[in-house]
Amino acid sequence: MTTEAVIAPTVQPLPENEKFPPSRSLWGDALLRIKRDRIALICIGILSFYSIIALSCQLGWIATPWDKVVGAAYQPPSLSSIELIFGTDLFGRSVFYKVLHGTRIAMSVGLMSSLLSIPVGVTLGALAGYFGGWVDDLIVWFYTTISSIPNIMLLISVTFVLGKGLSAMYVALGVTAWVGLARVMRGEFIKHKSREYVLAAESLGAGHLSRIFKHILPNISHFIIINLSIQFVSAIKSEVILSFLGLGVQGQPSWGVMIDDAKLELSRGVWWQLAGATLAMFFVVLAFNLLGDSLRDALDPKLKH
Amino acid sequence: MKLSPGAFQFNHIWNSFIFKFGTLVCFTLVIASCTRHQSKEPPNTLHLVVEAKLKGLDPILAEDRYSGTQSAQAYETLLQFHYLKRPYVVSPLLVEKLPDVSADGKVYTFTLRKGVLFQDDPCFKSTGGKGRELVAEDFVYSWKRLADPKLTSSGWWILDGRVVGLNAWRERAAKNGEKHYSEQVDGLRALDRYTLQVKLTQRSAQFLYLITMPFAAVVPHEAVDFYGKEFLNHAVGTGPFRLAEYHPSSKVVWVKNPTYRKAVYPEEGAPGDREAGLLADAGRAIPFADQVDVQVFVEQQPMWLSFLAGQLDISGIPKDNFSSSIGPGQELAPDLLAQGIRLIKEPVADVTHLSFNLEDPLLGKNKLLRQAMSLAFDQNTFNEIFYNGRAMAAQGPIPPGTDGYDIDFKNPYRQFNINKARELLAKAGYPGGRGLPPLEYATLAGSSGRQQSEFTTKMFAAIGIKLNTNTYSWPQFLETVKNKKAQIWEFAWGGDYPDGENFLQLFYSKNASPGQNDSNYRNPEFDRLYELSLTLPEGKQRTETYQKMVRILVEDCPWIFGSHRLSYILAQKWLKNYKPNDFSHSNYKYYRVDPSLKK
Amino acid sequence: MFAYIVRKLLSTIPTLLGVALIVFVLFNLVGGDPTYQMLGRHANAQQIEEVRHEYGFDQSQPVQFLNYLKQIVTFDYGRSYSTRQSISQMIGDGIVPSLSLMIPAFLLTTLLSIAIGLGAAYFRGQAIDRVTVILCIFGMSLPMLGYILFGQYFFAFKLGWFPISGYETAWPDRIQYILMPMAIFVLVSLGYDVRFYRTAILEETSQDYVRTARAKGLSEPVIFFRHVLKNSMVPILTNIVIEIPLLILGAFLLESFFGIPGLGSITIDAVNNSDFPVIKAMTTLVAFLYILGNLATDVLYTLVDPRVRLK
Repeated sequence: MTTEAVIAPTVQPLPENEKFPPSRSLWGDALLRIKRDRIALICIGILSFYSIIALSCQLGWIATPWDKVVGAAYQPPSLSSIELIFGTDLFGRSVFYKVLHGTRIAMSVGLMSSLLSIPVGVTLGALAGYFGGWVDDLIVWFYTTISSIPNIMLLISVTFVLGKGLSAMYVALGVTAWVGLARVMRGEFIKHKSREYVLAAESLGAGHLSRIFKHILPNISHFIIINLSIQFVSAIKSEVILSFLGLGVQGQPSWGVMIDDAKLELSRGVWWQLAGATLAMFFVVLAFNLLGDSLRDALDPKLKH
Repeated sequence: MKLSPGAFQFNHIWNSFIFKFGTLVCFTLVIASCTRHQSKEPPNTLHLVVEAKLKGLDPILAEDRYSGTQSAQAYETLLQFHYLKRPYVVSPLLVEKLPDVSADGKVYTFTLRKGVLFQDDPCFKSTGGKGRELVAEDFVYSWKRLADPKLTSSGWWILDGRVVGLNAWRERAAKNGEKHYSEQVDGLRALDRYTLQVKLTQRSAQFLYLITMPFAAVVPHEAVDFYGKEFLNHAVGTGPFRLAEYHPSSKVVWVKNPTYRKAVYPEEGAPGDREAGLLADAGRAIPFADQVDVQVFVEQQPMWLSFLAGQLDISGIPKDNFSSSIGPGQELAPDLLAQGIRLIKEPVADVTHLSFNLEDPLLGKNKLLRQAMSLAFDQNTFNEIFYNGRAMAAQGPIPPGTDGYDIDFKNPYRQFNINKARELLAKAGYPGGRGLPPLEYATLAGSSGRQQSEFTTKMFAAIGIKLNTNTYSWPQFLETVKNKKAQIWEFAWGGDYPDGENFLQLFYSKNASPGQNDSNYRNPEFDRLYELSLTLPEGKQRTETYQKMVRILVEDCPWIFGSHRLSYILAQKWLKNYKPNDFSHSNYKYYRVDPSLKK
Repeated sequence: MFAYIVRKLLSTIPTLLGVALIVFVLFNLVGGDPTYQMLGRHANAQQIEEVRHEYGFDQSQPVQFLNYLKQIVTFDYGRSYSTRQSISQMIGDGIVPSLSLMIPAFLLTTLLSIAIGLGAAYFRGQAIDRVTVILCIFGMSLPMLGYILFGQYFFAFKLGWFPISGYETAWPDRIQYILMPMAIFVLVSLGYDVRFYRTAILEETSQDYVRTARAKGLSEPVIFFRHVLKNSMVPILTNIVIEIPLLILGAFLLESFFGIPGLGSITIDAVNNSDFPVIKAMTTLVAFLYILGNLATDVLYTLVDPRVRLK
């Protein structure tokens, strides 16, 4: 997949000569910029909407049960009821409900894999960049090794090892996704560890841990936020690919599973599963992409032209 | 990653870069403009399909149907199942007539046709590439290869324990290797140039069926020696087609073998064949096609679309295209009919099933639980959804058209009845499913596996039984099943030959895992009847024995019997002489393309 | 320079060892046993033992790992379990289809995306730039499977512009099979690439020398095309070099959907069939190329920028 290689450099380390204002004003400034950015606000709106749907499905407030039979098999979309708005699938279940529940899966896959990969990436990157020496060598060796194995093969093999299912997918996506963040973090730590403010903290008696987490990390935390939006997008897309390969979730409707079904249905003219899942996915990925850009612009003013 | 502004030596790289890009793009566009170019192939070329990537053409490795069929276009067996006649009968292929059998049914004498030539190939060094004549010794050699433990053939079972002295030869070969090929096997001898004698350890009604399988085809030792490990990518047989191109994952091209013996299209068929035009070519020399292009399609969607576009001569109907191609009365849709496409329906000799692992402490000891689950599974709805009704609910393991099938028999535990299922479940000790832990269900990864497991889960949930679905790749699935690690799984058995024995052996205790009795069924009475049936000749007594065995199985319920499928095949109007045949493998020679009917 | 390259090559050994170890643990220890698949449903216990012995599955794990390392050094991975083909043959057969799809697709993508990226960067901040960026993001946000299913159904089947699937070894014929997967690859990757190149070029415009040039009174087009462009070719070329090894695996989704028998589909099959020798060979090959790609980037930098010193 070329995507990884192409995404990674967009969160390139900052140039040497760049001087950041202290952290609070960086975030304050960013917040101001975001508030003025109408696209970013719309994106935040879309993402909140998706999150609410995901949460409501999780808690069973809406679209429950998703596997209720609401009509005949492959009924085309109709406006007669909310359940039939996207038609029905092979078993006569509501495609609309499946799309909603797919939102839950997609959001949870993005969230959980980020929660797994971000601590790993941050910690390893920080340790490598901050301590240097053999720690650096070891960690760099480790992530070079991981990134030398094609991502898709790692994903497949980890799902094989863990068995299949949602939690296996969280872990598989999490353990393969931390490399990019670790690389960026390492570069930033190398740059920041000899800055005046860190040296000042050291002379005031701050220990290693305190310098890493209290002083340096807040100054480069925007990379984590930007990484989060990238991670979400790649997790949602990977879910589709894993489902296509038969490694996706079982017994639950996900967008990947729906698109996988669609490959058989399309030639009989059943387009609504594909359309429903693709559209739902399109908007959330679009929102993440646009928001990621806005965040980058807001947090990384150098690129703003 | 910052670089200096002064990198001017970069100039020439930049310029040549632009230049090369430009040239390449122009080149691509020029070539692109001459697409849709038709390659030169004979007008009567067949365009056929296989639905899986091929595993080589060496007959002893032809485990899957697809590779077996390809291998059979070049390599031939002594006998074959008659192309047209039903019920299936064995007929001569490389022999002059059916073999002579001794009075005790143990000694078979085959008389080979004279003048049968192997295809010309560089491996025949002494004749400068001219193929030599087939002799009886070639069969002795080929069947020893099948037995050779070093070659790890998956087809050894067809001879295992059947031929006098062959198992002992195999054991010695495991120790000593190659040179054992010269060692005599008492039960497998060439009496003279054209006479092959086979001595069986015991009478076997199935022996002649078994040796029609591609595993038992004849190969020349010259080719095996010459190509060594690459032998599986070549085909040097006596068959009607020569291998022209072999790309196991995309395409195989066969061309007519110019030295093929004189062979003709069958002159007799089953009732209705004449009316269907299947005997129009009776007595004419085969093969008809000058070339056969076989394309590999792993995904159904592109295969179907290619067929509709006229790029394939035959195709199955993917389940999701069924309603658009077949009308409510099981007739062909008008738009396809207008194109002259024919629909050919034929039962498949197979049985799908859900296996229970009888060595599982929970399922193995609770017959009532198994019966309850069997009653709760609505096979007709399943068939409607997944096979568009192109299947009949199975009452037992033996499919129609196979000896032992009883058309009047209704399995009491396969009549969908949810109330009775609940009743039995309560009797089994789990009223409403209470107290029953979720059962581990194994299935294959993939779209249809996933959809079917969703259906199965729902069926059992209706009586309160929960399933935990685990999906596996094919090797993992087999590993799980053969190591008895799952509780329930879905499987299917396609018959190797049209005899009930081939389906009943799936329950013989000596075939338990890792053998083919994957549910690990053990019943002494069943075993006794099975062993008895092996010695019986075809006839009423054998059929009754088979039916008795089926009744025992049905009561013990080691499987939830699924369906016997019906194949619906579409053929283009220009394809003649097509008749589905589950058991004869070398059929391409009979197909004929009428180029005048192709636009 | 030569000593540098040698040293760099030697430094790849620990990485290759790491790759070997991870691949071995993931696939050999837990990746499924191919024996049953090789023998089919009629297998008996004796045959299973014979196959295990014949293929060395009965050897201890450390011995199997050492054999694997030996294979890496000798480039002899033996034969595939599932197709029984020699692996060098399979790679040789698979590389041609993969490259005949990926080289034109990649060149076209790169060329188009650099051109569009240039345009957008030149008109930075103007409407044309904004529209380009938005279109890119739109393109990036659709799943590749969506493109494939739609393309096969609409362009190949409904309109009949392309064959639906397949592959042909003969030359002019091959192109018709490659055109649609190629177009899909270009569409899918264009968004990412345009954005990347646009950013790379824009970053260059914020450099001091640009300000100097402006101060000197050079016209904007001159600055842009003569200086900025030339210098931004370095990150652009780096990106290209880094992507090349990944092309070897091709776009496995495209390959498996369009029936192109390339390395990508070989690899996916191998994983699904627990075909360990093929997996080993493919991962080692890709890892090695990836490392070489990195090395090439380093060397490229030193060629372009004399200030980058070789350690």
